[in-house]
Amino acid sequence: MPGEALEPSAGGGASANAIVQLRDVSLVLGGRPIIDRMTLDVRRGEFVCVVGPSGCGKTTLLRLIAGLLRPDKGVVTYNGAVVAAPANDVALIFQDYTKALLPWRTAAGNVSLAFEARRTPKAERAPRIKALLDKVGLGEHADKYPIQLSGGMQQRLQIARCLAQGPSVLLMDEPFGALDAITRQTLQDEVLRLAAAEGTSVFFVTHDLEEALYLGDRVVVLRPNPGRIAEIFDVNLPRPRDQLGTREHPEFLRLRRQLFDFIEGHEE
Amino acid sequence: MTRIERTAWSAASVGVGVLIVAIWQFVAWKQFVSPIFLPGPDKAWAALIEGFKSGSLTQQTFATVQRMSLGWILASLIGVSLGALIGSSRNARDYLGPMLEFVRPLPASAIIPVGIAFFGLTKSMVLGVIAFGTIWPMLLATIHGFASVDPRLLEVSRVLQLSRLQVIFKIMLPNAMPDILAAMRLALTIALILSVVGEIMAYQGGLGSHILEASRAYHSADLFAGVIVLGIIGLISNLALTALEAKLLRWRHP
Amino acid sequence: MKGWVVPVGVLLFAEISARLFGITSDSLASPSQILAAAWSFLSTGVLFARSAQTLLAAVSGLLIGGGLGLTLAVLLGLIPPLSRLLRFPIEALRPIPSIASLPIVLMIYGFGYRMEIAIIAFACFWPVLIIGQSAIVGIEPRLIEVSRVLGLNFFSRVTKIALPAALPRLFVAFRQAAAVSLVVAVTVEIVMNPQGLGYELMTAQNSLQPALMFAILIYIGLLGWSLNAVLLLAQKHLFAFAAVPRLNA
Repeated sequence: MPGEALEPSAGGGASANAIVQLRDVSLVLGGRPIIDRMTLDVRRGEFVCVVGPSGCGKTTLLRLIAGLLRPDKGVVTYNGAVVAAPANDVALIFQDYTKALLPWRTAAGNVSLAFEARRTPKAERAPRIKALLDKVGLGEHADKYPIQLSGGMQQRLQIARCLAQGPSVLLMDEPFGALDAITRQTLQDEVLRLAAAEGTSVFFVTHDLEEALYLGDRVVVLRPNPGRIAEIFDVNLPRPRDQLGTREHPEFLRLRRQLFDFIEGHEE
Repeated sequence: MTRIERTAWSAASVGVGVLIVAIWQFVAWKQFVSPIFLPGPDKAWAALIEGFKSGSLTQQTFATVQRMSLGWILASLIGVSLGALIGSSRNARDYLGPMLEFVRPLPASAIIPVGIAFFGLTKSMVLGVIAFGTIWPMLLATIHGFASVDPRLLEVSRVLQLSRLQVIFKIMLPNAMPDILAAMRLALTIALILSVVGEIMAYQGGLGSHILEASRAYHSADLFAGVIVLGIIGLISNLALTALEAKLLRWRHP
Repeated sequence: MKGWVVPVGVLLFAEISARLFGITSDSLASPSQILAAAWSFLSTGVLFARSAQTLLAAVSGLLIGGGLGLTLAVLLGLIPPLSRLLRFPIEALRPIPSIASLPIVLMIYGFGYRMEIAIIAFACFWPVLIIGQSAIVGIEPRLIEVSRVLGLNFFSRVTKIALPAALPRLFVAFRQAAAVSLVVAVTVEIVMNPQGLGYELMTAQNSLQPALMFAILIYIGLLGWSLNAVLLLAQKHLFAFAAVPRLNA
């Protein structure tokens, strides 16, 4: 039964399969409690979407998993180990893509940064950069500067750089929020494709409920002030997803109704 | 505006320049202003040619340019390195920043008496004064450039696990480049001014001494010739740095 | 608070080492000596007179040079063809360092106020012209269109629309020019003109009074700093509504 996990933990008890785990995590920032006693698992290869109104700590959650922030209480683990600092193979994709790119480097140069950080041997870099740019459809634009790229292309460039880390976990912070509808759909499918190909686990934050249902295996709904898990929805829709087909699927429509009602019912 | 229109306007502008020179010649010819003070462009030009032919102007130009460049290069190296050190460290910025900001409005020439007190009226004194006056814009601009990296980029560097050195050279330094290059251009004009000031005060040869002596002897043509050369030095150095800036900052306007 | 630690520490160190080593020198002075010299100098009233001389010259030069620069900036900003025609002469004259005008002006006026004011005016003219022109050019084009539609004559357009709209950035130009005016004034007095703070500074050095010299030096620095701070405060207060770039504060 596609339902709400009553105890939003593990969602299946198979914590051995969890790549990221949060246990009773709380965080206070600037005097305000942002996250309060959150417990959540992300399974290997899973695509988890997180939705919620502003103030529910979605972005903070991402940064906790990325190791940019430490919890005041509770534990965040990655691959069983406590997260103390950013890990080698956890990538974070920001919403303000322009600010996350180096304006003084070309597209190739930006992707190269990830390899330089890992001290990949120089000879290996060029072919791998080319491969990554081709993968995200920027093969023709390797020598362009970010200022010459459209919003969608810049976001794809950021994705390419993150993929250069060879990530096991992809953290995405409302990555398509600033893009137009068509570009958004294209990139949604690209992310699905890339994640499926590599078996990457994805933790995807968005305010777009339909996007969350379209992309995710599970949708976590957060409540604000302070951030807590309100509900987790299992999304049992067939893969691969399809922009038209999936969105017309009766199960999609049912979940959509359920999700919307839930959100509305909890509007404070 | 089309290229043709642009070229036409540039030509017209040069024409206006020629017109101004013509008016100048007319005023000098009619002696509306005493020729002791205002030589005609023809006389100034003659003095210029004569000065270079005889080699005296050449030598003085060389002395001034050398002095200016040396002081500026010195100040650039020290200013940028120090600025990088201070700018990349939050602590250093907090402890040293306010003090440095305070020195900013101080006229560089005010350090001359101190320089004379320590070094007398020597070449090194002048060089020291030039370096001192030139260092501030460079230092402060570098600190600002290093400190003003977008927090998002710093987060990116943490996620990518860049080492401290990598952050300084791959993120902070390129980010500071526009500020640094603009400051270097400003610093060069200051270096030129301080070179002239130093030469006037310390009798160290160069164009500064040349124009001072010319004014004392009321040789207005020589004086104007010297001023013209100074203007040319300023122009060329500015153009050179602007070209360098455009090349290094290609990513802003590809 | 942190910003005080290093300067105070340096002063303490200078004071202690001066006392420990009992230095008497023609070029160095301890902080306490500087303070003492400053105090006795203050009581003579000379500082006030000298400051007045410097400031008078600086302000006069600023008003004259700035005024001329502003006028030209407005004209060039509002009449693009004029700006295009004058581009070459301006670019040719601009690189001439302000100090190069000193011997010419000295020849004409000799020592005194007029010479100093002339040089300061020349130095202040350029920043006001350049920054002012960009301030005028940067006026929201919509406002210019409105002024045209309303049928304002040129003079009204300038006084009622252009100047008020450009005022925040014009103030930034003014601030820059004010800093320049003080610097050039002191420089001219140090190099040549026997009046004002610069001259007093040189006199102190010539008469081998390092404590007094440093005292005056610090005073000049304080003067420049407080002038800058006051103008910055005025800018924040007057133009809080406009997002103005803090051009090197």
